[in-house]
Amino acid sequence: MSGQTFYKDDLSAYLKRRSFLLRIGLITGGIFLNSCYKKIRSTKYNIKGTLQGPNAKAGHILRDKIKLPAPSNTRKIKTLIIGSGISGLSAGRWLKKNGETDFEILELENHTGGNSYFGTNKVSAYPLGAHYITIANNDDNLLIDFLQEINVITHFEKELPYYNDYFLTFDPEERLLINGGWQEGLVPDFGVPATDKEQIKRFLQEVDQLKNTKGNDGKFLFNIPLSSSSSDPSYRKLDKISFHSYLEEKGYDSKYLLWYLNYACKDDYGQKIDKISAWAGLHYFASRRGKAANAEQNAILTWPEGNGWIMKELAKQLKDHIKTSTLCYGLKLMANGDITASIFNTHTNATEEIIAEKIILCSPQFVNNRLLKNFNRNIDYRAFNYSPWLIANITINELPESKGINLCWDNVAYNTPSVGYVNSAQQHLKLSEDKKVITYYLPLCDFEPAIARLAAYVRSYEQWLDIVVPELEMIHPGITDAIENIDFWVWGHGMIAPTTNFVWSENLKKAKAPINNKIFFAHSDLSGVSIFEEAFHQGINAAKQVLNVVS
Amino acid sequence: MNKKLPALLLISVFVVATCGLIYELIAGTLASYLLGDSVTQFSTIIGVYLFSMGIGSWISKYFEKNILSWFIQIEILVGLVGGFSSTVLFLVFESIASFRIVLYGFVSLTGILVGLEIPLLMRILKDRYEFKDLVSKVFTFDYIGALLASLIFPLLLIPHLGLVKTAYMFGMLNVAVALIVCLSFKKEIRASKYLQSASMVSIILLLAGFVYADKITSFSESQTYSDTIIYSKSTPYQRIILTKKNKVLRLFLNGNLQFSSDDEYRYHEALVHPGLQALPFAKHVLVMGGGDGLAVREILKYPNVDSVTLVDLDKGMTSLFQSNKILLALNKNALLSPKVKVINADAFSWIKVQHKKFDFIVIDFPDPSNYAVGKLYTNAFYNLVKGILAPKGLMVVQSTSPYVAPKSFWTVNKTLESVGLKTIPYHNYVPSFGEWGYIMATDPDNIYKKPQQYLPGLRFVSKESLDLMLFFPKDMAKVETDVNKLNNQILVKYFEDEWANVL
Repeated sequence: MSGQTFYKDDLSAYLKRRSFLLRIGLITGGIFLNSCYKKIRSTKYNIKGTLQGPNAKAGHILRDKIKLPAPSNTRKIKTLIIGSGISGLSAGRWLKKNGETDFEILELENHTGGNSYFGTNKVSAYPLGAHYITIANNDDNLLIDFLQEINVITHFEKELPYYNDYFLTFDPEERLLINGGWQEGLVPDFGVPATDKEQIKRFLQEVDQLKNTKGNDGKFLFNIPLSSSSSDPSYRKLDKISFHSYLEEKGYDSKYLLWYLNYACKDDYGQKIDKISAWAGLHYFASRRGKAANAEQNAILTWPEGNGWIMKELAKQLKDHIKTSTLCYGLKLMANGDITASIFNTHTNATEEIIAEKIILCSPQFVNNRLLKNFNRNIDYRAFNYSPWLIANITINELPESKGINLCWDNVAYNTPSVGYVNSAQQHLKLSEDKKVITYYLPLCDFEPAIARLAAYVRSYEQWLDIVVPELEMIHPGITDAIENIDFWVWGHGMIAPTTNFVWSENLKKAKAPINNKIFFAHSDLSGVSIFEEAFHQGINAAKQVLNVVS
Repeated sequence: MNKKLPALLLISVFVVATCGLIYELIAGTLASYLLGDSVTQFSTIIGVYLFSMGIGSWISKYFEKNILSWFIQIEILVGLVGGFSSTVLFLVFESIASFRIVLYGFVSLTGILVGLEIPLLMRILKDRYEFKDLVSKVFTFDYIGALLASLIFPLLLIPHLGLVKTAYMFGMLNVAVALIVCLSFKKEIRASKYLQSASMVSIILLLAGFVYADKITSFSESQTYSDTIIYSKSTPYQRIILTKKNKVLRLFLNGNLQFSSDDEYRYHEALVHPGLQALPFAKHVLVMGGGDGLAVREILKYPNVDSVTLVDLDKGMTSLFQSNKILLALNKNALLSPKVKVINADAFSWIKVQHKKFDFIVIDFPDPSNYAVGKLYTNAFYNLVKGILAPKGLMVVQSTSPYVAPKSFWTVNKTLESVGLKTIPYHNYVPSFGEWGYIMATDPDNIYKKPQQYLPGLRFVSKESLDLMLFFPKDMAKVETDVNKLNNQILVKYFEDEWANVL
């Protein structure tokens, strides 16, 4: 490598960073000025609530290298799991299931769950992040076993799993507000011109065919977990182009279809079709083929607290192994091959050292980037794009009357910034409830993630109201007066986005590779899509690797 | 003295007369609405009213001084009593046992006050006219007012304002007379300021009553019901309306007919006896829904039944059927029986935590017309019911009309079968509902034996009628359907489609 190019790279990086900082400055400054302006005006909404997010303080200790007291003691543990999101809990479950009990799961928050965390108020429990899974693909035995273990699958009928009636989404499931009325289902139909309908049909037929197609290695082209998908190069290459280019190439230009696909990508990946790779875009539609004895294909399972319910089931069996409010802020390889983890308790402010034989890092890669700074891994962490999200849990007295289908579980409006809201009372059995909590999901995808994230961190409660309430009012005229409370939750790093050239990149492969058979990795960002199933399998994979090495 | 004033006083006679007759008509109409039998009601009301007017006239001689100021005070009082009368009578109707005492009390009070008005007015006017002129003028205006009242009351007031608003309006007119007289004669009246402000306050009160009349008793609803509404109440769960026409009571929940007192026995006998008569050992019975206590009434006819548990969501409903005299007569005090335990709870949440078994279970929910009620017709719910059904026990489900909604009816049947129960569907004719369906269900190992005889005194169910009920003619024959589940709720869709063709 010549010095010349080095310099050029450096310069362009420098310029990029300058323009990046400039844009950050403009946006956050704008938000700040808007907030000043708002303070001068009298408050517009009479709505109470909180603005929260994952524990930023703990995270910043890691990022800003704050000085911590010297470790007070040292202890030994065979396997240390860092992070108690689904991947961490799944890894712990697998170890325990296989007779391994000498392990500990560290969590920097004061609760387990990661993206599956949830909230509760006096009306209902409600999700703060992940809120559903689809029924398992029938070849996914590990998942089916687990779902049986927690009574989500109650038994089998004619070899098909019978899902617990209380967890399959109650009817009515989905509605879309489009052309002035609520239609059943989310695929645009009501008032949609025939030519657009034709394109939508063509697309759905295409993905339906892909769903049942296998590659040259005999595996399904798209499968869950992703790692079990076919490696057929003629399809893998779709990862190198954006979903948008793919659709353009195939002649899809219906605005209704493009809206629907943008909605889908926002919903599952937090970004629009221009950012998401064609492979990932198709994976959303072509990877789920689960069949059940008592539900439609791809039926949805949900709980008032969203995936928080599954998370609690996982954590329940591991409660003796979980240490919350505990941050790992450094990892060191020792001469004998063991690893020293430096631990800080955010509750007691005490530090200690844990000497572990094996470590499973179930933290996202932007955290691992800091934790592994002493290890030369040669990974481009900037390729990991995390979509920021705003979640608003809204307690309402009564939804205003509207035209068309009644309140469903998932309620989406055509051409709005959010991906709609879910009704957390959908799985309640009570006949009538005077209040409801609806959970509104807003992916912050209008700017690149880093900028959108910083902007999200600066916004005040009132400013979020200004973003969310007008959209709700547009969807349900008159709803503002019925809102009793809104609790906002900001996920700075909400979910990994499978952008072009990410899922099947060398970079991601490197990030998954264990270090010296000592440090193993499990997180859905290593799959490239942020869904329960991926985190679940990531955890099992890492645990299996650990068990293999030990024995 | 101003020449205008006698004219003013004569106009007062006219207004007072109109108001007086209107109050009488209101009381009569209200009594025949609430108590039925309009000839008796009108006749007794008119009698009591006229007699009270006589008392008023007689008392008038004891008023000696300040007659003008007494007149004004009585006007205000008549306005208030008359104005609020219909509201008070409506509100106390369901909660007071001796409604008639309150009714006739009001009628007498109004009568006495109205009876005072004319004699006092005549005495006020006596120095201003010749006696023959006075009598002729006062009585002319009195009778013209009466004619006017009797014409506008049925033609304009009842159709457009309703009873309650009419009462308030004439109350205000009465007090307005008081105020105008008071202002015109203020020099001749002591404490005229006090009387003026008293009448102002009264007018404001009456106006408030007029404005909020709809909230107190919703007469706007009377447009949608062909019969007279005698009770209406919004509970947190539903709107309960009770109507009466002649001797027939009808109960509506959210506008849907629940029963009609003249043929409800056909429904409730069919719901209970084919099942319970076949279970001579039955001790513990559960009723879900059916807060009217009519199914419980039938169940309590069996001496072998020790306990009846009634689970109904709405306390407003069960309390009404535990306290209202007319309704207690209908359900024979069923919900007050020591054998009966009333639980106000959501059926699904309640049954999830039950372990005690019941020998006979009656499921009498509203029709599956929305997703919320639809949950109570799912396989998940029937599974829970099956869990608390005694091994030899029977359950019965009201299952909408197999004639109008065959798909809905047979979906309930299929759903019951899907949880491993054997079903025995049957139907009968209930004039106010049409052809209606019920499904008994029991463990497949049990054999349902048709009862050979029934309790004495049943009006519909008998050995012969059950044979007919068990037979499904071709136009109600079984159709193939899916199972109704929480995650498909097909029953709600079928129900909507099938009934949309009828309603």
